[in-house]
Amino acid sequence: METFFRGPWQVPFGELSLKVDPLSLVFLVAITILVLCAGAYGIGYMRPYRGKKPLGIHAFFYGVLALDLVLIVTANNAILFLGAWELMTLSTFFCIIFDDEKSSVRKAGFIYLIASHCATFFLFLMFFLMARAAGSMDFDIMARTGFSPVLAGIVFLLALAGFGVKAGFLPVHIWLPYAHPASPSHISALMSGITIKMGIYGICRVLWIMKVLPNWCGYVLLMIGVSSGIMGVLYALGQHELKKLLAYHSIENIGIIALGLGVGLLGRSHQVPFLAVLGFGGGLLHVLNHSLFKSLLFFGAGSVIQKTHTGEMDRLGGLARTLPVTSILFLVGALSICGLPLFNGFISEFIIYFGLFQGLLGLPVQGGIFCSLGILALALMGALALACFCKVYGTVFLGKPRVDINGPLKDPAARQGIREGTSRWMLVPMMILAGLCVWIGLVPRTAAGLAFRGGAYLTHVDLAAVPLGQVFTPLTMVVRIVLLFLALVLGLIVVRRFLLGGTSMPVRETWSCGFSQVSSRFQYTSASFARSIVDLMKNVLFFRRYGGQVAGVFPEKTSLVSSVHDVSEEMVYRPGLALLNYISEKLGHSRIRYTQLYLVYILLFLIFLLVWKLK
Amino acid sequence: MDFILNKALPVLFHWGGVCLFAPFFLGVIARVKAFFSGKTGPSVFQLYFDLAKLFRKKCVYSGTATWIFRAAPAVILGVMLTLSLMVPFGRFKAPVQFSGDVLLAVYLLAVGRFFMILAALDTGSSFEGMGASREAFFSCLSELALFMNFIVLALLAKSISLSQMIGANIPMSWGGMEPVLLLVVVSFFIVLLAENCRIPIDDPETHLELTMIHEVMILDHSGVDLAFMLHAAAMKFFIFSGILVSIIIPVRTGNAVMDMAIFFGGMLGLAVLVGVVESTTARFRLNRVRLLLLISFALAFFGLIVTLWRA
Repeated sequence: METFFRGPWQVPFGELSLKVDPLSLVFLVAITILVLCAGAYGIGYMRPYRGKKPLGIHAFFYGVLALDLVLIVTANNAILFLGAWELMTLSTFFCIIFDDEKSSVRKAGFIYLIASHCATFFLFLMFFLMARAAGSMDFDIMARTGFSPVLAGIVFLLALAGFGVKAGFLPVHIWLPYAHPASPSHISALMSGITIKMGIYGICRVLWIMKVLPNWCGYVLLMIGVSSGIMGVLYALGQHELKKLLAYHSIENIGIIALGLGVGLLGRSHQVPFLAVLGFGGGLLHVLNHSLFKSLLFFGAGSVIQKTHTGEMDRLGGLARTLPVTSILFLVGALSICGLPLFNGFISEFIIYFGLFQGLLGLPVQGGIFCSLGILALALMGALALACFCKVYGTVFLGKPRVDINGPLKDPAARQGIREGTSRWMLVPMMILAGLCVWIGLVPRTAAGLAFRGGAYLTHVDLAAVPLGQVFTPLTMVVRIVLLFLALVLGLIVVRRFLLGGTSMPVRETWSCGFSQVSSRFQYTSASFARSIVDLMKNVLFFRRYGGQVAGVFPEKTSLVSSVHDVSEEMVYRPGLALLNYISEKLGHSRIRYTQLYLVYILLFLIFLLVWKLK
Repeated sequence: MDFILNKALPVLFHWGGVCLFAPFFLGVIARVKAFFSGKTGPSVFQLYFDLAKLFRKKCVYSGTATWIFRAAPAVILGVMLTLSLMVPFGRFKAPVQFSGDVLLAVYLLAVGRFFMILAALDTGSSFEGMGASREAFFSCLSELALFMNFIVLALLAKSISLSQMIGANIPMSWGGMEPVLLLVVVSFFIVLLAENCRIPIDDPETHLELTMIHEVMILDHSGVDLAFMLHAAAMKFFIFSGILVSIIIPVRTGNAVMDMAIFFGGMLGLAVLVGVVESTTARFRLNRVRLLLLISFALAFFGLIVTLWRA
């Protein structure tokens, strides 16, 4: 089950020790698929920049990032892992700031860099604590060590803080909505699909090393999943920018993954291996699924942006006519991310639901309460995600183009309605990903088996000892019913065609209650579509609205601006950093510049050291 | 041969029953409402006539609409037909039963909703956008309440198969857990009203596009497409009432004819009840609707508390 490789490379405490096990296998599969697809897509996406920008540098960092991701999931030594982790942070940073002449991109890059480095601090602390207890930096030796419950709890919290930033748990997610829209689309896809999953991988690795964790850890992970999931999708509903919206959806899906892992951890600490394998397996399968459909969606968004030069949803519309292939592929991604049957999202959510219901029926009351909370949260996330992707698809791809209010499209080809015109380098990777989404949705056994093996490895049980038939039988039934549903729909379409006869149907204007001067500005925008939900949640979402009121009998032209702000950014980071700035300014001795004073400080410190040592 | 007798026949029976009887109960509701407003009202079979007429008609399409608009009616009708296989109707056991079918049922409903909303947005009409936005919002809340009900039922039945939850294990729960089941019944009734766009939430008969939800989303559908949509809506009501009736009347006499009569009587009674509710209450303001749905959620939530406390 495990394959080792030890290379001739030595640093103090570290060695080039690589290992492939069922856990890293899940991530390796996702990395391989995504790196190849995103690379191919990048070739097409970067074509307009040829000769204008140094693409070689970008390609170099992309390559470094790709290799480095493999190194992270195979590293079997904490020093090697931390080195690879740093390298990933840096290479991602250089990939993000491709459009470095824009100040917003540079800002996004720096936010990412700062957030990542703050997180790495916790990781150093965590690994040193673990290594001190185990006496080695080697993961395998750590895994054989028995940690005290207090230490295990501390390590768990440090892992949540350190890896949580990368994964994008609430409230340490703030770099995500900046970095994703700023970077080129294939990098956003890779980041959302894989880089943030490295945080999940790190947490999984720690869970694997810490065989015995206190009971509260499972509940904490579950609650983090619930809060990240619900808040992520609510913020997504309030967004007007396509890629920023997708970035918030990554937070939601990370929440679902954390929910799955939380269920697994609950099962493991209550000694219910079946529940543990279900939870961990569902979470790991969702890792794979999310990386497939989310990168598909980012690729679709990239095609839209390349064509129209804007990601503002309220300026788009009717793109199903100009981008027919992209629109269908984007629909596949949207259906998958909403967790609808026939696609892969449903399979992993079904497994997690299944685990939650098992927990509800099997665990003691306390666990049952948390599991029912998880079920409700997952249901709410599903419904909100559906609303959100109806909004995205409806405003961007359906209806009439809204461009006539905002000036013509910059791209003349799009204006003349030339069909598609997206490069094949971009379409083929999207088709592959969409195909994989449907494949996992219809033949879940292979991917689910892979994930369950990872789950059993995390639970430290033998897969054969777990009654997996209990979940595979329903899955088979699900697939059968879904196929039946598909056949029914096709049959009904045939019936419809038969009833209508061969004649072509008359095409008229949309019914508008007898009003004849209809313009495309009458359509519901993304903001107005989400308004009622955002309104209900306006206290949590920092919903702001300016203007929009008309006055008088002949009102003049007026405008309305509405936006949703991130509470953790506005309430925690902005005031916190302002306070920090204030303190450091006071401590900065802007007016005291005597050398003597510093000499006194040094003297005081030396005396302190002497007293401390001589005591 | 064995396969046909054991699998295909029950499925066809189920579909036949749902297709045939579903429009009848909407006719009953219309008749009850007519009675309350002092009119004779249309025949109980009016919806059958409407459907027969629409099935013979051609469609008119909006120039803005794409293939999604044309595919949506088939998808929605397909969803309802597939869904009906997982619900037992009185003596007719559900042909499809497996652990977790309730999840598939809820998510299939979501597929139908997804295509319904997209078809509405596809026309680019502001009215239909309005309806779509409301549908997306209210369904978030009603799905939450629905899941809450299913959690309670799953706990009572110790199973997550719909047939077990509302069929086999209900009689046992009525002896001893009746407060919980009463809460579930009331809560589920509100969900039924919301999901089927009945009066305190949505008015299916108004002619003001600004205030409608479901009817405004199908404004641009015509002919066969509209027939599909209307038939699917009738089936949805049939399926939801079927579930509620199974919870309320768990009686099994053992006699096939008696059982069917009891179930049919229950369905009829429920349709009359919905008609009475529609006649005696006014439609809520849109910002009140969410309160009603949250009440439904809260009722089921109390049910969960009581269940956990008793256990």
